[in-house]
Amino acid sequence: MGLEMDIRSIVEQVLLEMKHGTQGNSGANLPAQTVVSASEEDALTDLAKVDLQRYLQVPHPVNAELYQEMKLATPARIGVWRSGSRPLTDTWLRFRADHAVAQDSVLGDVPEDFPAKYNMVCVKTMCSSKDEYLTRPDLGRKLDDENLAILRQHCKKGPKLQIIVADGLSSKAVEANIPNLLPAMIQGLEGMGIQLGTTIFVKYARVAIMDVIGEELKPEAAIVLIGERPGLGTAESMSAYMGYNPRVGMVESERTVVSNIHKGGTPAAEAGAHLASLLKRILDARASGVNM
Amino acid sequence: MGKELTLTSVGIDIGTTTTQLVLSRLTLVNVMPGSQVPRIEISHKSVIYMGTVHFTPFLDRRHVDGPTLRKLIAREYELAGIGPADIDTGAIIITGEAAKKENAAEIIHSLADYAGDFVVATAGPDLESLIAGKGSGAEELSKRFRSRIANIDIGGGTSNIALFDKGVCIGTACVNVGGRLFEVDALTQRLSYVTAPAQNVADCLAKKWGQDLFPAATPEAELAGINACLDRMVESVDRMLFRDLLAAVDQSLVMSDRLPAEPPQAVVFSGGVARYIYQPGLQSWWIHGDVGPLLAEAFRRGRAFQNLKVYQGAETLHATVLGAGAHTVNVSGSTVTVDKNVLPLRNLPAVYPNPKTDGEWSWVEPAGHFQDGLYRTVALIVPVLGDTDFSTITDVARQLAAEFGQIAGSPKVVIAQQDIAKVLGQSLQRIAPEYELVCLDGVELKLGDFIDIAKPLPYEEAVPVIVKTLVFSGGVGPGSAKGSE
Repeated sequence: MGLEMDIRSIVEQVLLEMKHGTQGNSGANLPAQTVVSASEEDALTDLAKVDLQRYLQVPHPVNAELYQEMKLATPARIGVWRSGSRPLTDTWLRFRADHAVAQDSVLGDVPEDFPAKYNMVCVKTMCSSKDEYLTRPDLGRKLDDENLAILRQHCKKGPKLQIIVADGLSSKAVEANIPNLLPAMIQGLEGMGIQLGTTIFVKYARVAIMDVIGEELKPEAAIVLIGERPGLGTAESMSAYMGYNPRVGMVESERTVVSNIHKGGTPAAEAGAHLASLLKRILDARASGVNM
Repeated sequence: MGKELTLTSVGIDIGTTTTQLVLSRLTLVNVMPGSQVPRIEISHKSVIYMGTVHFTPFLDRRHVDGPTLRKLIAREYELAGIGPADIDTGAIIITGEAAKKENAAEIIHSLADYAGDFVVATAGPDLESLIAGKGSGAEELSKRFRSRIANIDIGGGTSNIALFDKGVCIGTACVNVGGRLFEVDALTQRLSYVTAPAQNVADCLAKKWGQDLFPAATPEAELAGINACLDRMVESVDRMLFRDLLAAVDQSLVMSDRLPAEPPQAVVFSGGVARYIYQPGLQSWWIHGDVGPLLAEAFRRGRAFQNLKVYQGAETLHATVLGAGAHTVNVSGSTVTVDKNVLPLRNLPAVYPNPKTDGEWSWVEPAGHFQDGLYRTVALIVPVLGDTDFSTITDVARQLAAEFGQIAGSPKVVIAQQDIAKVLGQSLQRIAPEYELVCLDGVELKLGDFIDIAKPLPYEEAVPVIVKTLVFSGGVGPGSAKGSE
């Protein structure tokens, strides 16, 4: 966050300077494209569409080939060139754009019809809004009587495995990964003869929602597929938290986690297959987390 | 799992002139953080036993002495204090004269007890070139300096060239140029034997000079003749390296040439002769009973040494055996589907599918080339898919399963080029549960490659694999002779 704030203040300063027409030495170094597009707005390209890893900003690099290789080796923003002591305009605009994507993902909602598509029973935690969800983690771990009643009414009780999908901090992660992860995982689990409960979707949920649902439906094990806090690299990363004998009062170390499920990490379908065999191991070992 | 695993790997290099055994320890470790899907990599390679260099025992000039070789290897195991049962993996590299068909069969037969379940007998000049280049450190240097570096491994009978570009092997070649093509009597310092390729070069020079080089009237004339031949041989190597037009003499020496058009920027020498390239000035050149030190001098006068940047690799003398022991093994991806009881598997040819008109793939026709009973099964390659969506993967699984019945061999081995082996394997198990299955990813297999799959690692799903890169030209490993067709 420190760096982000720094850059933000730099950006604000630059904006201020530009507004006042006091063009420092930064003006001279602005890419030609920016100058042109300022006069004809239609020519503006979508910055977020540029593949950063193939965008070589250093003018006349000594070894372009090696520079490109280094850029391709990491999604981090390296080799972005500078204007004086500041980043280039398109560098910080892109930074802002990616940050906006991350924020959208946190604040956005999973579409209404999404849970139904996958035959999920839909419930909501005690949070009444995204704002409350962000400020009251405790409420994101609880279900009120009304929602508990929905579970009682519509969900299989005492399954071998309970699958829970949660929006968490990234609705985009759920939308991007569940369509491939869920069928792959279910195929794997069914192949191993593991009896599944009714899949549940929980809005405004934290990981520990597993405990409350575990207490209610008494599955032998549970898995929570939850959107990770988005970063600037991807807003679509998902984690899977697994617990044996999920119950209120279980400790965090009892959960097994697999993180970084997204296109650039472990692809969703492969992750689903991996989770299936990991769950089998948890059920065989009758333990999860550090107890395994 | 944070646990480290170690594998003991044996490398046995049986060449025209020398035989050597090396034992190395490979450390495998999960390089991903605990919360992520594991990825096993070889983190460290160390030599635990470097055997003595022995002369390869021959009954006569053509036939390897199997029983003596067996005793020799048995003694090395004894000295190393290790039994064949302790060996996890490794490779035997049989080259040059030793690689002739009947010899290779004899060697494999004699060493069967020592090769263990895991060890792979293999041969072929292209593979040897590659292995020497890895063992010498040329591959690593090319990676580190991001440049195109050739490794020239100069042995008794052949020089093996491997060209690495930024750590990737982009070509190999093998030339009949070696230190033992002329044998000398260490006492009289006179020629005792001239091999066929050396005689060929001598004959060519004789035509130019108007007189035979050997036998020579005086020791001085003989030495001059030898040196002239060696210079001519080095010239052949240089012409190959720099991609010049090859004369008839050059062509007679070339055994295989798969070098690309672009010449190297730097060169590393390895093998027995290379020692004298880096440490020149040996007065008693005859001490080995051959002309190795003279050949080294000839290389020092040659174009590659004079015009290119010359590096010395981490290992010079034992490059091939080290490469065989430590650099042939890789580890598959960690999310794979394996019926563990079917491993190990050896010499599986890579089979790329043909695209069908409807956009689907078919493996039947290309797999047909390997259905003559020589191979236990084949490795079916799943090319890079447009996306890794579940539906795309199940679709490929369906295409594969539909053809399993038409492709002989068991288990069915599928190698995916993306990180999908687990989900693809589970899909296949679901569609075609009657087949035993090995489904891997994280292994790069090119057309013409062969793969060995070792027993799975304890605690992990990943399996060690040995990819025999490049086409075997005239290879002799079990089943490999056919592979070059």
